[in-house]
Amino acid sequence: MRPDFPLPDTEWEPTREYWAAAARGELAVPRCRACGAYAWYPAQSCPACGHSSFTWTTMSGRGQLFAWTVVRHAFLPQFSAEVPYVPALVALDEDPAVRIVTRIVDCDPTHLSVDLPVRVVFRPLSFPGIDREVIAPYFTPEQG
Amino acid sequence: MPHPAPDWGHATTYEDVSGEIAVVGVGESDHTRASGRTSGQIAAQAVERALDDAGLLPSDIDGIMYAPFAGDQLDEDAFHRHFGTSQEMWVSKRGGGMVWAATAAHEAALAIREGRARHVLNTFAVAWATRRSEMVGGPGESHAQELFKQSLEVPFGWFPQPVYFATIAQRHMHEFGTTQEQLGAVAVACRRHANLTPSAVMHGRPLTLEAYLASPTIVDPFRKEDCCLISDGGGAYIMSASDRARDLRQPLVEVAGVGLGNSDTGVHWAEQRAFTSTPQVFAAPGAFSMAGVAPADVDVLTLYDPFTIHAIMQIEDMGFCAKGEGGPFVEGKALDHDGGGLPYNTHGGLLSHAYVLGIAHVVEVVRQLRGQAAAQVPDAAVGVYGGYTGPQASTVVLRRA
Ligand SMILES: [Zn+2]
Repeated sequence: MRPDFPLPDTEWEPTREYWAAAARGELAVPRCRACGAYAWYPAQSCPACGHSSFTWTTMSGRGQLFAWTVVRHAFLPQFSAEVPYVPALVALDEDPAVRIVTRIVDCDPTHLSVDLPVRVVFRPLSFPGIDREVIAPYFTPEQG
Repeated sequence: MPHPAPDWGHATTYEDVSGEIAVVGVGESDHTRASGRTSGQIAAQAVERALDDAGLLPSDIDGIMYAPFAGDQLDEDAFHRHFGTSQEMWVSKRGGGMVWAATAAHEAALAIREGRARHVLNTFAVAWATRRSEMVGGPGESHAQELFKQSLEVPFGWFPQPVYFATIAQRHMHEFGTTQEQLGAVAVACRRHANLTPSAVMHGRPLTLEAYLASPTIVDPFRKEDCCLISDGGGAYIMSASDRARDLRQPLVEVAGVGLGNSDTGVHWAEQRAFTSTPQVFAAPGAFSMAGVAPADVDVLTLYDPFTIHAIMQIEDMGFCAKGEGGPFVEGKALDHDGGGLPYNTHGGLLSHAYVLGIAHVVEVVRQLRGQAAAQVPDAAVGVYGGYTGPQASTVVLRRA
């Protein structure tokens, strides 16, 4: 395992643009150049048409809460200081079949409900003992 | 069919092997917390017991199936070293537990039909209680190694399996009104069966629904008792042609039907279009059709059950009830071996018996159909094991001949 696990390897080619976009404060996913379908997770070929070239496309960052849980026990020691936390799947407005794995922040988890409108916020992701941080797309409930 | 044909997956086409082979011997290792043993040693103990059960000699085994992942397994070389044998072996690495604890029966049937082997052994063992501290995320290690998960899931703490399936359970509760009490009913039924099964890791540890509900959640909505054990253990079963099996020691238990279902929407749980379904939707109909049975004919059901929600989802997806009605279906004593409903994981399953990834489930079904189980279902004639890995699920129907 990499010494900076569980930080993402931002240089790993299939998701490099995802993390590069996040560092700029953008949420980007690959879109098929032939048919326009979003391909998520990133794939060698388009699940809709089989074409194999994509453009990383900046999304609105808005979506709906598809599912979530509240983690109260740290299954990895690196998350001991984080519990309780709320990992979640967010279905993006542009295509709800694109589900982003993220965390819901700045919200009392008892106020969450399926299909709640949420929007992306960018925060540094860091873990104890690792002197590197990565800007990551989190989500928070839309205000009002 | 109980479900409209969904378009998110497909069944693997299987040749009809109904009745061609039988399970002639079953065995389990001791099921323990951390034992200091290797998985190969554990598997060998299970195989010794399966040979004794069948009345076969090590030299009779000329086919071996195992899973090449999950630490060292009893492959053909390890078998020969352990038993001092040297016969030629037909070998398949598509054996073991999980989905393969069911589909091994199909591959073995074809090998036996084609004359490649006469007595085929399928084994699986884990020493994950012993190895837990050296594994990243325990049994989550293989998921931690997967690079998309490392990049897109683990950094957010969506890891390991309890977190995936708690999220799925929360969504199932939203879609269908499934309740914590219904999840608890699964855990309580499994624990009751484990308390009737002396070899179960949780034997002597009763659980009531009240105690379940009073315990804290660890990853909502799951409590500790919604999650499988981590234990050391293994299992084995031996398959032979049915006409040969009639001359062996045990009552005849035939392989009546096998099915394999596949999701076409990726290998990651977050990507599954049918987020609250399993590929049992595609596996079970083929197995039931090959066996010529309907869900209502099933006397005892065992399911690969890392979490309580797996029972509810697979019971729905296999057609024991309509989709979304799995929660009400499992309430009360419906899953108990003597509850008058659908006897389920009558040894305690992964939740309360042992974490051997499904191979002991097949052993339990065979014992039920022979009338040798600890929590015996009266006059059980048709038994089913359902296996699951995520993007695949499998069903094997066994029948007392
Ligand atoms: Zn395309």
